[in-house]
Amino acid sequence: MSTGRLEVRGISTSYGPVTALDGVEVVAEPGKITAVLGANGAGKTTLLRTISGLVRPQAGQVLLDGADLTKAPAEAIARAGIAHVPEGRGVITELTVEENLRLGALLGASRRKTERGLAQVYEMFPPLAERRRRDAHVLSGGERQMLVVGRALLTGPSVLLLDEPSLGLAPRIVAQIFELLRGLVDAEGVTVLLVEQNARSALSIADVGIVLNLGRVVARDDAATLAADDALRHAYLGF
Amino acid sequence: MQQFLNVTLTGLGQGAIYAAFALALVLIWRSTRIVNFAQGAMGMFTTYLALTVIEGGQSYWVGLVVALVAGLVLGAVIERLVIRPVEGGPELNAVIVTLGLFVALQALAAILFGSTFRSFPAPFDLRGFTVGGVNIAFTANSIYVIVAVVVVMLALVVLFRFTDLGLQMRAAAFSQEVSRLLGVRVGRMLTLGWALAAVVGSLSGLLIAGGSLVFPAYMDAVIVYGFVAAVLGGLDSPGGAVVGGLTIGLLLSYVSGYLGSELVALAALAILVAVLLVRPQGLFAHTAARRV
Repeated sequence: MSTGRLEVRGISTSYGPVTALDGVEVVAEPGKITAVLGANGAGKTTLLRTISGLVRPQAGQVLLDGADLTKAPAEAIARAGIAHVPEGRGVITELTVEENLRLGALLGASRRKTERGLAQVYEMFPPLAERRRRDAHVLSGGERQMLVVGRALLTGPSVLLLDEPSLGLAPRIVAQIFELLRGLVDAEGVTVLLVEQNARSALSIADVGIVLNLGRVVARDDAATLAADDALRHAYLGF
Repeated sequence: MQQFLNVTLTGLGQGAIYAAFALALVLIWRSTRIVNFAQGAMGMFTTYLALTVIEGGQSYWVGLVVALVAGLVLGAVIERLVIRPVEGGPELNAVIVTLGLFVALQALAAILFGSTFRSFPAPFDLRGFTVGGVNIAFTANSIYVIVAVVVVMLALVVLFRFTDLGLQMRAAAFSQEVSRLLGVRVGRMLTLGWALAAVVGSLSGLLIAGGSLVFPAYMDAVIVYGFVAAVLGGLDSPGGAVVGGLTIGLLLSYVSGYLGSELVALAALAILVAVLLVRPQGLFAHTAARRV
């Protein structure tokens, strides 16, 4: 699959007088994991929210395989194949675990594929299978993260936007999710844009990295090169 | 004993209608966090349309279909044109808009249909059954009312529990942002929610009117009782609305039967105040109530 090339051109986004993104350029290629790194408030989450249409930029363009999505509503962007896994609050707690997953699968495809997809997610994340009929508010933080990642996969995305998937998770589960991502990217050529505070672990699975600081891109390079750049690490990445 | 039975049965019949009305309020509250004060006026308006059709020579059932379809359209149009602009704004805006709609629809109905009392036909017999020589205040029409409300409720349960559309509507009601990220067309779901609620509201208007008199303000009392029922059930819970409606119907019927009918409105307000003081979240707390 060669589709799913995400291009962000000169995006500027403000919240009132506060500029969160200032002329940001990002290209995320199919079959690669692009890590977006930076401190708190660097604009990482705003970048994802702008791409998925939850926030409108003042300037710039978001292109998916050359098609302009800048002014499209969030639901149309989701239908175009961009799955955004928001940080923390993505679970609809009033619905059951299975209903949450089915909601993702509605975007995916036929009923038969839905059942197979659900089975795969349950196989990947056994704790979800045990609680499939329970309201999602009974899930722990880690289980919620599994749920939103599994749900995003069920939408059959060509681009996956992940906001802090490791937040609050045990290292073992983080490793499991990252391994899953890597497999998905390598096998199906999905494009992944991965926002992480934990720069070290993000760079360990990413192909390329972008460093944001105060809404501007201050560095972009191969993940290995960034991880080896001591000055950059100390200045922006905190490890 | 006979009086107790009669009062109870009357209460159940009335309660079913309050339940339907409360359900209409709950459907809108859940999806848009707006109390639709125009719900009664909307039901009144579509009932007048049904009456016009019936007086034109059509059967009650044609009138019923006309009222329900008109409710569907009216609900959708009102959401799109009047409610959409105030969604997401301060809550008071929406309250004022629905109150304004309430007044406007009543005035419009008075202009179009006149403000005199007109009798509305009942589809079934209004005489009570006689069991073993004892007259019971339970009519074929009461059975129709209860069956109609139960059928609508079951249809809603099926829609919300077992269909993809219902799942999307619930998701949109609980979390607009997450739903949009999953490709749910939230705007459409809200319109559909209002349309469905208006259908249920139209049904309650029609059932209240059956075998009785209609005039532009005939739904006013039902608005109060239905609202108390919805609050009693927790405003958020369809199951709560049903239980609340039946409870209010029974309580008010006992008040009317044993204490005097002039105390009914006062009793309804007393119940409302008591609920708000003792258990403002309603009888059905969040998670327990959702399992309907």
